[in-house]
Amino acid sequence: MDIENTKAQMRKGILEYCILSVLSRNSCYASDIIKELKEAEVIVVEGTLYPLLTREKNAGLLSYRWEESPQGPPRKYYELTEQGRSYLSDLDNSWMELVESVNRIRTR
Amino acid sequence: MKITVSINIGGYSFNIDEDAYSELKIYLKSLELHFSGEESSSEILSDIEARMAELFRARLTAYKQVITIEDVRQVTAILGTPEDISDNEGPSARDKFSSPGYHRMYRDPDHRIIGGVCSGMAAYWNIDPLIVRIIFIVLAFAGIGILLYLILYIAIPEAKTTAQKIEMHGEPVNIHNIKDSVKEEFNRVRKNMKI
Repeated sequence: MDIENTKAQMRKGILEYCILSVLSRNSCYASDIIKELKEAEVIVVEGTLYPLLTREKNAGLLSYRWEESPQGPPRKYYELTEQGRSYLSDLDNSWMELVESVNRIRTR
Repeated sequence: MKITVSINIGGYSFNIDEDAYSELKIYLKSLELHFSGEESSSEILSDIEARMAELFRARLTAYKQVITIEDVRQVTAILGTPEDISDNEGPSARDKFSSPGYHRMYRDPDHRIIGGVCSGMAAYWNIDPLIVRIIFIVLAFAGIGILLYLILYIAIPEAKTTAQKIEMHGEPVNIHNIKDSVKEEFNRVRKNMKI
């Protein structure tokens, strides 16, 4: 058993959920999302984010628009779609349940 | 003194040391290979490049205008190798990464004389392209060589990506082959530029 591997597996499951949660507050571009996920220590390498963003966009949970940036080329701003919002509230519920279940076991 | 190369990443232009350039190219090729099974691989890659441009820009100042190999190493460590990324994606991506390559016939654009048909066939059978060319010339005198060449030119796709060029030789597509192939390509460009 490798502790780092176990931790990575744990993070992997919640990463999608975290991305949607970050975007539920306001639309942001990829580097803003990275900053938040890094501060919360849910991602280690930044490259992990991009395939997930694209997959969530292809699944219709996210959409993006191009926005001019003060310096350099335009940036992609992501936001939740209607479908993304209901998906997220589903995940919110199952996250609560999960926390409760784990706590019940830990404190028994 | 060092030679620098001018490159475009995510819409920004950068000057990069030659050694840093080949390291960066190998990294990008390995990502390209990693995401090649993905539905929107080119979109993912251009998003990553956009982020890469940001990270490089943060490392440049008025007194430091060239990207060094150290910058490339730091930035690629932040973005993560394909292995780091697939740790977060489950085993499927990793399996794909080490799968044995196909052996397919392609036209070889790097060693072509007309359309790369003969050199591609020679690469596929691992023989000297001269043999294939002589056979075609003999067939041309017999009256069918030119038509046959045209048919094969249309039927056989050109090896465009690094992965296809490796498949053409029937070798498994993995990071070591990609490294060799990128180095070879780089040396060829250098030779053509006579530097």
